[in-house]
Amino acid sequence: MAEKDRQNPEPQAGTLTETDIASAVGVFRSKIDHGLAAALNSCVHCGLCAESCHYYLATGNPGMQPALKVKLLQSVYRWHLTATGKALSSLTGAHELDQAMIQEWIDALFGSCSMCGRCTLNCTVGLPISRLVRAGRSALVSMNLVPSELQSTVDTAVDKGNNMGIVREDWLETAQWIEEELQQEVGDPKARIPIDQADVRLLYTVNPREIKFFPLSLLATAKILHAAGESWTFSSDYYDVTNYGLFSGDDSAAALISGRLHETMGRLRAGMLVLGECGHGYNANHWEAPEWLAITPEYPSRSIVRIIAGFLRQGRIKLDPARNQKRVTLHDPCNLVRLGGVIEDQRFILRQAAADFVEMYPNREKSFCCGGGGGQLSMTTYAKRRLEAGKIKAEQIAKTGAKVVVAPCHNCIDQLSELNKEYKLGVEVKTLSEVVADALVLGGASHS
Amino acid sequence: MPFIEAGGRRLELNEEGFLADPQQWDAEVAAILAKAEEGLDHLSEEHWAVINFIREHYTQTNLAPMVRSICKTTGLQLRRIYEIFPSGPAKGACKLAGLPKPDGCV
Repeated sequence: MAEKDRQNPEPQAGTLTETDIASAVGVFRSKIDHGLAAALNSCVHCGLCAESCHYYLATGNPGMQPALKVKLLQSVYRWHLTATGKALSSLTGAHELDQAMIQEWIDALFGSCSMCGRCTLNCTVGLPISRLVRAGRSALVSMNLVPSELQSTVDTAVDKGNNMGIVREDWLETAQWIEEELQQEVGDPKARIPIDQADVRLLYTVNPREIKFFPLSLLATAKILHAAGESWTFSSDYYDVTNYGLFSGDDSAAALISGRLHETMGRLRAGMLVLGECGHGYNANHWEAPEWLAITPEYPSRSIVRIIAGFLRQGRIKLDPARNQKRVTLHDPCNLVRLGGVIEDQRFILRQAAADFVEMYPNREKSFCCGGGGGQLSMTTYAKRRLEAGKIKAEQIAKTGAKVVVAPCHNCIDQLSELNKEYKLGVEVKTLSEVVADALVLGGASHS
Repeated sequence: MPFIEAGGRRLELNEEGFLADPQQWDAEVAAILAKAEEGLDHLSEEHWAVINFIREHYTQTNLAPMVRSICKTTGLQLRRIYEIFPSGPAKGACKLAGLPKPDGCV
């Protein structure tokens, strides 16, 4: 990424040709299946969704209402993709996808939405608004109008095999370093961080930021897997659980990125694909990848959250909650919980890992987005808006009186850390594995 | 755009407080960013060891180094890095070293 691009604010629609726009309309058409068409025909802008949206609640700006984001998509749909919308535009509200409209799309769809899906819960007819937003983003992808840092994160993953461009030697050196730390921590010189072991039970995948900047979470998970006596491995090449193609709206990049994990499962013949603490990585690889790749995987995929809960249920690890005395609360990552369906296991775990675990309200599928999802964390252009929209989450956290916020998602962790600084919350933000590893009683459970 | 003033120069920052033009970086800029972005009144020898290594690595490779390399080169323990840079290696140390914001979930 050239430095001048980094300074470039929102992408500009100004240089598009009619052919570019016609092609984008074609992409938009291809993304609007019967379900989304019904959604676009159903929204009457009743506005009930407004109070579900952290952008609207935090800013009070009426333009931030989800219904008005839908209206931008609906008006283009009616102009270009319905028989009478254009002719009767004064009645239908149809509007051409012209350069001004494209600019509004960029600001609304990329700049004012984290695709958290909370609006769907408040919608009287349950419209899948985050999917509509992604369809609009897909049309912007075709015009090269994805904000530069989000696009750059996708490009790095495609070109280098992981979204931070970590080279193989650096990954292997870090893995070896963490292995040495693990051996010290568990007092067992045979403890391993296995790489490229074939025919194991689990292939574990992580967020590259853990490897590059925050390897203590790798150490924590490795400690849990070691304590459970699990058969597992990392891959030396494709270990990145993230897939920013989900956020940019680029299905071909998304298929390529998730396809590599699928190929790695085949190469190493692992029994299960285990997705690290990453909300959107879970949504992308568990729910969306089979559709992007047009496959039915012959192996199951699970969040590491479910694996750890399984260890506890099977008595393979033992936790002592007295080792985590500070009050702990839990953040529900939208892509893991509301959109992903992994809801209770993290609670089951925390009740055993911490002496004083409290919920924030609302929680589970009704939880508010931290504000970092949908690619927001990568897009510097909208950083101020992202922090402002995070106010709702900051208030939720403050009300619990907790000193530790657990978030089973590295993307959320980064946003929550920024909220901690911005709103002076005075909390520690941790992964679930870190809290579990701290409570782990080594040698206290039977290996089965 | 936000900005800082260093030695009579007005330097632009991006919306997240990273130096807009990494070439404008010098020790004085690092000290001003330390105060403005990390609330650090004073940069210790440990801070400078980390910042200088990150800067050197960036000048040679155009990339932020792995935290592994930072620890190996400076001799600091991993947990110490998080203690001395409250915002962590990316949004703390790399920012003070004048690097652009790294890609990914940071």
